[in-house]
Amino acid sequence: MNKQTILIIEDDRKLSGLLSDYLRKYDFHTVAVDDFSRVMETFVACPPDLVLLDVNLPKFDGFYWCRQIRSRSLCPILFISARENEMDQVIALENGADDYITKPFHYEVVLAKIRSNLRRASGSYAQPLEERKIDAGKLRLYPERYVIQYEGQTSELSQKESVLLETLMDRDGRVVSREQLLDLMWSDEHYIDDNTLNVYITRVRKKLKDLGADGMVETVRGAGYRLSAGAEEV
Amino acid sequence: MKLFWKDQTPLLICYIAQMLLIPVLYWLSGENRPLRIIGYGVMLSSAILLMYLVIRYIQFRKLYQRLSAMECIASNRELPREPLGDAPLPEAVQDMLRVYDRYYQDKLSIHVKRIDQHIVFINRWVHQMKTPLSVIQLTLRDFDQTSAADSIQEELERLRKGFEMVLYTSRLDQFEDDFRVERIRLLQAVKEAVTENRRLFIRKGLQPDIRIDEDWIVYSDAKWMRFMLNQILINAVNYSAGKGQTILITARKSSEQIMLDIQDQGIGISREDLKRVFQPYFTGEQGRQYQESTGMGLYLVREICSRLGHQVAIESKPGDGTTVRFTFHHTPNHETY
Repeated sequence: MNKQTILIIEDDRKLSGLLSDYLRKYDFHTVAVDDFSRVMETFVACPPDLVLLDVNLPKFDGFYWCRQIRSRSLCPILFISARENEMDQVIALENGADDYITKPFHYEVVLAKIRSNLRRASGSYAQPLEERKIDAGKLRLYPERYVIQYEGQTSELSQKESVLLETLMDRDGRVVSREQLLDLMWSDEHYIDDNTLNVYITRVRKKLKDLGADGMVETVRGAGYRLSAGAEEV
Repeated sequence: MKLFWKDQTPLLICYIAQMLLIPVLYWLSGENRPLRIIGYGVMLSSAILLMYLVIRYIQFRKLYQRLSAMECIASNRELPREPLGDAPLPEAVQDMLRVYDRYYQDKLSIHVKRIDQHIVFINRWVHQMKTPLSVIQLTLRDFDQTSAADSIQEELERLRKGFEMVLYTSRLDQFEDDFRVERIRLLQAVKEAVTENRRLFIRKGLQPDIRIDEDWIVYSDAKWMRFMLNQILINAVNYSAGKGQTILITARKSSEQIMLDIQDQGIGISREDLKRVFQPYFTGEQGRQYQESTGMGLYLVREICSRLGHQVAIESKPGDGTTVRFTFHHTPNHETY
């Protein structure tokens, strides 16, 4: 499958670097603009499937570049901006943007918005993007279907269990703090407290055990939890 | 008219003195002028004086009216457009006022400009700081989730809240251009505010308990309301005593109002502090224990409330906890438009 290209127009090099690295992890091809007097040249040379665009840029602002890109292409444009006021969002959308993300943001938000816009841009849901999957050792999680796979066997998870496992697998071999897990699992309807988290951890452990992947989720005292999916191969 | 007579009193006294002086002089010199001549002279002279007074009053009428109507000047501080009169004195007064007015207008516009620039600068600066904040936050993800990372995360959040406070404080000066009252689902707004502050809840081991009817609507500005709820929630969480406690958020409805109570089981506020919590920069005994307390939160909340036409009140018993109560109208409040 052809990798989709994302053009990052952001003058903070660290931020554009971080975004680039993250998106590469999810199988995107990324291009970052270096010379802000030649944005359109970079765009034409690419050409990208989607553009991430900052508002405050040297020389011309993001709205200007948005109009320039719109005059040539219909590719999705997502603004990334520190300005959270409604007026700026309206201006952005009127200049042809498709969505607006305010700083500081989480990777997940950017990724989710990129995916949804690409899906819409590619015409229909008939040609969906490849399903997202996370691998850790022999474990494979399909976070969109809440399904976990291990050595050919599959098991279904609840949404919360899936979020929990996704976070642990994403940081395979490293410690994830309880607070981090609580933060990710918190929803508007249910406030997860320590006891509830314990229950979810127990359930996930049991499901892994049923799959034959016993003892993968370790408790690290005073710190949190760690998944060690690669440990068995050592 | 009164002022006119006061102004003319010295002249009248002088005139009467003169009128008495002349017959006395005649009497002293021994010239036995007939009394009628003297009386005629006095009458003639009085007629001329009267004419003078009438003309003078007509010429100066506007100036006298202006000067008498002090309350009028106090309420309408603009320099009057129509001339005060065409006599030399009113014109001179008018010119002098014009010079002073010009001078103060110039000074005022310099200051207004400076404040505007300052607000623009602050806004720009805060927005610029958000990029480094994003970078730190994203970089942090690649760290192991250790206590150090959590601690940095906590500080980051403080920075963010601090920046938000700065932005909203500077926006308050331009409030009139920056609000729009709309229908807001109270439960929705409260849930969003709680979710936004979930890390604080998690870190402190606290739980929210929200009991609000799903259909209740209040009229407010979404952005400012979010800011107010955030401030109160942050206070409630910070001043809570410890793990396992709940922050109770309830609403009650009367015929005209909806009351929203945000109640913590915290350390409470002492009686003498309670009177002053809405004052700017007041941090109180408890506030000093928390570094992020600037004493501006509650002050801003009350300012915003009064501008949006809501009310806010605070009740507390030391040791028992604190309740902050918002009162919203559930019909649009026209005074705020």
